[in-house]
Amino acid sequence: MIKKFIEIIRKRLLVALLVGAIIGLITVYASYTAISMTGTPQFCVVCHEMAPMRASYDKDVHGGMGESGIKVNCVECHLPHDNLVNYVYTKAKNGLSEVNTHFFGNPDLIDWKKKREYRASFVYDNGCIKCHTNYETNQKISAKARQMHRHYNKLKGSDKQLGCASCHAEVGHKGLNNMLNIYKPQHMLYEKGSAIKKAEIDMRLYGEVIEISNKVEEKTKTER
Amino acid sequence: MKGCKVKRIFLLLGVFFLSIMSLWAVNHTITPETTVTEVDPVIEVSSELRKQYPIKPHHAKLSMDCIHCHEGQGTNPEEFEYIGDEGCLKCHGSKEKIAHRTGYMDRFHTNPHNSFHDGPTLSCDECHQVHQESINMCAECHDKEVPNWMKVTAP
Repeated sequence: MIKKFIEIIRKRLLVALLVGAIIGLITVYASYTAISMTGTPQFCVVCHEMAPMRASYDKDVHGGMGESGIKVNCVECHLPHDNLVNYVYTKAKNGLSEVNTHFFGNPDLIDWKKKREYRASFVYDNGCIKCHTNYETNQKISAKARQMHRHYNKLKGSDKQLGCASCHAEVGHKGLNNMLNIYKPQHMLYEKGSAIKKAEIDMRLYGEVIEISNKVEEKTKTER
Repeated sequence: MKGCKVKRIFLLLGVFFLSIMSLWAVNHTITPETTVTEVDPVIEVSSELRKQYPIKPHHAKLSMDCIHCHEGQGTNPEEFEYIGDEGCLKCHGSKEKIAHRTGYMDRFHTNPHNSFHDGPTLSCDECHQVHQESINMCAECHDKEVPNWMKVTAP
């Protein structure tokens, strides 16, 4: 059977090559589309517990509030860009763990503040540097910034290595601390009225979804 | 027949390696510009002086050294001076920016960086002491309420 197959391929090498190329192209295109389609904030937010992060992203220059209005997708900063294998692996791993928390875990138990201490481990510098290539020599940033970026470069590769997010604590998410404190107040005073504020933000973020589910609820009520 | 098989395997291997190579080439990360034109001065700081003026944990965590704050003050650490608000704000931006970072507190007028009494005008070192224990100025009067308002002043 296999021998016969090989025989056919040998006889019609050109056709086999062509078919192979077409199959290859389709596979590459399909996987590329799948990867890029699952890389938008609209897709991420379906499973990822990230309402405060999304709300603060919308206020940031990286979320389209800059002069140019450019939006940077989550994956540009939150997935490694050193090589494709690592990229796809991390994407799949993160995705699975998020699906698990979303459907089987309790998102209310997540300690965002604690997680932020490890921010340098989930903000990938090679993603930042893909756009900010001249962070060390850029004359339009302050001399202080260049000095600190030299410090960063000096420590690169050592056991004291820093991440961009080590210093740029709220990068990509303007007012993240504020948002987190609305969703989960750290101090007693701010618990007053935080539910209303939270609902306001949720409405803005997931307005359509909430409206639709409300309509469905009303419909089922009237039908009864 | 056997030779043919070997050839085919080599051909397949070749195609495989070529595709891997092209994937790698496409995906190879852009290396940042690193032509350094500015050079940092090297200063020697004695261990006694370091003990006398310890660096707070949030700065130490970033492996910051004396020179990062006391820049442009010569090479003799004995002569280093107070850097003032201006020095802090070189990295931390502006008082308005810092006020925004704790902006969620504005709802109850308890934002220490945009204080009910002073607005965003206080000197950093009213609370944040860099080489000694920090204090909470709000707590000097509102000592009972402050624990419900905010955490302990960042060191």
